[in-house]
Amino acid sequence: MNLWKTWKTAFDAWENNTAQMLDPIVRSARVLEPAGSALSAAMKLKSMTNRASAAWWSAIGLPTRRDQERALHKLNTLESRILDLEEQLEDANATQAVK
Amino acid sequence: MMKGVFNLARRAKQGLPDVGRTPADVVHAENKWSLLRYRARPDGLAPGRPIVLVPSLINRHYVLDLMPSKSFVEYLVDQGRDVYIIDWGTPTAEDRYVTFDDIADRILARAFRVAAKVSGSPDVHVLGYCLGGTLTAIHAAVRPRRVASLTVLAAPVDFHDDGPLSQWTNTKSFDLDALVSATGLVPWPLMQAAFYLLRPTMLLSKGVTLADRAWNDEFLDGFLAIERWGNDNVSFPGECYKRYIGRLYRDNALIADAFSLSGERVLLSNIRCPVHTVTFGHDNIVPWRSAAKLMDVVGTEDKKHLHLPGGHVGAVVSKKARHKLWPELLGWWQERDGGPAVRSVSADAAGS
Repeated sequence: MNLWKTWKTAFDAWENNTAQMLDPIVRSARVLEPAGSALSAAMKLKSMTNRASAAWWSAIGLPTRRDQERALHKLNTLESRILDLEEQLEDANATQAVK
Repeated sequence: MMKGVFNLARRAKQGLPDVGRTPADVVHAENKWSLLRYRARPDGLAPGRPIVLVPSLINRHYVLDLMPSKSFVEYLVDQGRDVYIIDWGTPTAEDRYVTFDDIADRILARAFRVAAKVSGSPDVHVLGYCLGGTLTAIHAAVRPRRVASLTVLAAPVDFHDDGPLSQWTNTKSFDLDALVSATGLVPWPLMQAAFYLLRPTMLLSKGVTLADRAWNDEFLDGFLAIERWGNDNVSFPGECYKRYIGRLYRDNALIADAFSLSGERVLLSNIRCPVHTVTFGHDNIVPWRSAAKLMDVVGTEDKKHLHLPGGHVGAVVSKKARHKLWPELLGWWQERDGGPAVRSVSADAAGS
């Protein structure tokens, strides 16, 4: 067994033990709750920045990022509904052709 | 080890391996998603219903067509099956408003309708992988018309499991609304970070494994392809994420018969088509008991549970899968199509 193989065997044993040791730690409320709080605080700060930026754009009469997203989403929804209608029309025509 | 380092340096010049190479045509495209139909083998299609593969929303579809000899899609096409797959595409900012109902109801219904129509079949076999399995199970419970059979691979159904993801999403200080409101599309690096929590030493372990086996070209191809796929993720539409985490992970509403799809109550006991559930013993993303729960609640007598060793991804794309899992799935579909059965289930596979 060469040096690398010996090292690798030792590493595998260490990695396995460390992963098992860390598992209850990363699952514990003492880790998850502060992580959740930090993430939520960062997200709330981002939302505040987004709102301030949107207010500025609105104040000078320009559409906000949200306005544009909403409009694009409506277009996508409209495309989907048109496809639904096309399918229904095709089905209705096929049924009529059979009759 | 030095041989491995030299091989790795040589391979670095070639770049990452090509993935998703089985030829396919887009038969439907809408917003960011598309439905791909794989080109039939030169001998033409064998009898049988088309198969529609529904991958997870978070990952790219080509995990099921990773690379030659490690591709479930390639295997099915070689066996003469008519195979479709949903490519969810890459959502952009406006897709923050895409809802769970849009995906599990409207998009899946359209995909199954188009596949059935293109193939001239009244219905299709459906296979959902991971979250794709959850979506297809919900769809099959409410819109069963086009679903001839349902196969779910490692799909969470009972979300109150002992997995770290369940514990993280149920953390009280994790403000779901704040996350969705601030990001719109929940960024994939955030979700990937949660996956790393599953085994914090994973990155280090991967590095050492790579150094140890980099001399082996076959291993290197597979390793790099999986890494390419694993780091090519997509962000999650916010509205959909809110319902997914809020109602499924936190409230466990699916198993409590309290979930709804487009206003209709989702009762998994309404799934009457044949159901095949596949779980993996070392799956730390979706604990196998969470996925196996589907077997207890579906309303069909024609159901089968296959429990295999292996992890969430490896068990689906490994060499072993080619000899165990893939023939098992194909055989199950062939039996339901009234064709000859192909059996090659391993001794360690538990059926029920």
